[in-house]
Amino acid sequence: MARPRRARKPKYKPQVYPGADKVSDRRRKAADPTKKLAKFRSIPDDNIVLLLGHRFKGESYVSVHPPLDELVEKYDPIKNIVEPTPGARAGDRIRYIQFADSIFYPPMAPWLRPRLYMSRLRGCDVMVYSGRQLLEQRERDIEASSKWLLETEVYDPARDAIRGITVHGHSLRLDEDGLMFDARRRYKLNKETGEVEYIKNMHAEVLDNPIPVGRPLTEREARGHDCTYRWDVAAYKSRTEILTVIARYSRGRITGGFNPELTEIINNSR
Amino acid sequence: MKFEDKIDLYSDEGKLLAEKVPIEALHPYRNPYMKEIYLTLKRTAIVDLGKLQGMLRDGRTGWSTTVGQDEIKMPWYGLDLDLVEDSEEIAEELKKMLQLKEGDDTNIISLEGGSLLVVQLPLEVLRLSADYSPAFTQVSVALGQIIAKKYGLDNPLDRPYRFGMLKNCLHGRYPQYVGPNPGNPVAPLMKVPSILEGMGTGYKSFMINHVVALGNNRTLHAVALATIFEQGAQFEMGNAIGWYERYQLLGSAFQGFNANNLVLDMVKENARGTAYDVVLTLMERALADGVIEEPPRKYPFVQPSGYKLYQLKDYAMWNAYGVAALLAAVIVNSGAMRAAQNTSAVLGSWNDFIAFEGGGLPDPDAGRVMGTGLGFGFYTHGLYGGAGPGAFTMDHVIVRHTSGFLTPCIVAGMCLDAGSQIFRPNVTSGLYYTLAEELPIFQNPLEKLAEAAESIKGEI
Repeated sequence: MARPRRARKPKYKPQVYPGADKVSDRRRKAADPTKKLAKFRSIPDDNIVLLLGHRFKGESYVSVHPPLDELVEKYDPIKNIVEPTPGARAGDRIRYIQFADSIFYPPMAPWLRPRLYMSRLRGCDVMVYSGRQLLEQRERDIEASSKWLLETEVYDPARDAIRGITVHGHSLRLDEDGLMFDARRRYKLNKETGEVEYIKNMHAEVLDNPIPVGRPLTEREARGHDCTYRWDVAAYKSRTEILTVIARYSRGRITGGFNPELTEIINNSR
Repeated sequence: MKFEDKIDLYSDEGKLLAEKVPIEALHPYRNPYMKEIYLTLKRTAIVDLGKLQGMLRDGRTGWSTTVGQDEIKMPWYGLDLDLVEDSEEIAEELKKMLQLKEGDDTNIISLEGGSLLVVQLPLEVLRLSADYSPAFTQVSVALGQIIAKKYGLDNPLDRPYRFGMLKNCLHGRYPQYVGPNPGNPVAPLMKVPSILEGMGTGYKSFMINHVVALGNNRTLHAVALATIFEQGAQFEMGNAIGWYERYQLLGSAFQGFNANNLVLDMVKENARGTAYDVVLTLMERALADGVIEEPPRKYPFVQPSGYKLYQLKDYAMWNAYGVAALLAAVIVNSGAMRAAQNTSAVLGSWNDFIAFEGGGLPDPDAGRVMGTGLGFGFYTHGLYGGAGPGAFTMDHVIVRHTSGFLTPCIVAGMCLDAGSQIFRPNVTSGLYYTLAEELPIFQNPLEKLAEAAESIKGEI
């Protein structure tokens, strides 16, 4: 199932993201499709379906249009060039998964997710809004992607959560078990197994049985996987390279937008 | 010749259409094909006789939104007239009234068994009028007089409400309201001038779905038409004067008209790839074509980690490559999903990749695409609600803020949609499919544009 596609080998050597420190490395890893994300846990396919709550376990996929092979479409050479995803080919509905990421040592952040998704997933729709990131795909594609997203290092059961509604909580203190606040109480820590368990699905509908999604990362591990700069992870000063690039980017935008003939000034602005 | 740049134009199948065309040959006010399109847009009005007949019969008029066209119904004031049956006579009369002199270029095409008339005014009228209002006013008033005369409404003292009903069906609440009803049975192709969003936005007052229908769902054809409309507006609103002229011409040539086959090459190379892969192709092509270059091997051009700040040779050209890659990325992503909703994802989130890949080089349209794309995403998703991408007009307050490089991408996305949208082109824009069939000017725009450019190459 979920396997990010292998990136092609370009002649040009991608540089992806500036900076030489730990946090830069995390961000570079997120956006670079040649880097494989480490697998941290296993979640059965059926549990993913239950967590997403878009269809029942074992139910067939609902389609919004006939499969592409049966669809009579107007002639367009482009449609024959780009290869559709399996879900698109079958005419599946478009469904979503939405993540909220805490601001306390998150392995992934809402603003970084689009780069993670767009570099590795085909036919994806992303949208960010204050602490949450939405990912929409055709149904069987989103299930495959969700599995991949929940099983690898970009998901920490304590600090990232799947939330379709009532997303609020990413900037609140973690609770006594170290979990991100959730007004819908979708998950809790099972103290016997040490794993986080979802007792409700993404839409906060109660599940028949709790679904374990693995143990929370320890404080030390979480710091190692943090993708934001903070005083005890990576010093602000180590951002110099990123700030240089962002400054150049902003000045280039202002200058280029003002007068596109000022190439020299754009080049020299840092 | 103002600019040195020359480009080759290719069809959407990769066939070379014109070689070494100076970019000025693609100037909206110089290219004969583009000129003809603009004139067609200005002089054409659609008269939906079938709808008018129904409105008159039901006394249904004066509504205020396109969706609910039955807010007011006064059948007791209705008039039962057989307009569709008599459409031939009406068209004949209309032509006589509209033409300036016998045998001029006034043209009326009757469609769908006479229930639809495509009326084209003489060019001279448009040349002399301050704006393109005659396409609505003259046609509407002429039609009113023809109907009054033909169906015995010739005495205003006899049941005057009938005249009120006829006026309202033709002119809506105008002038009480600034324009006729949305979805009025008599309508110019563009929005009427009094309800335009701003100065010079007339040519881009089309709904995205209408453009898709005019291009007959063929991606690069619809994109070319969208670019022609958008650039017409850009030049009209003063966004392409002086400094910006070359920037606009290059951007529209590379994004909209498949110059140097760049868009098609990028799509082909990443047919099984992701949106990010298009960025790599862009960097490769830009380096190979000398649009950007390797920086000197010293600080600060190469940062301590080895990260390079690439140098621009020519910003306008880099932008043209950027917007072409933007379109390719939209095609690659939407083509894989065969849905239109993810255009905003690329428009709003993909541009960052370019900035960080190129060492802080400005992204498409100096960041305007990204800013507008994010807002567009908000309003096409559940985050704030809103409409499907295809239901936006190109001058809508959400999508109008770029230099004409955003809406062609949305058009491409809608062309590739396999039926996942509620506002599909065949639901919202059936009429425009018919128009595209009947008015040959909208067919094969890439070829016609290249031919026209070739024909004025010598002058430039």
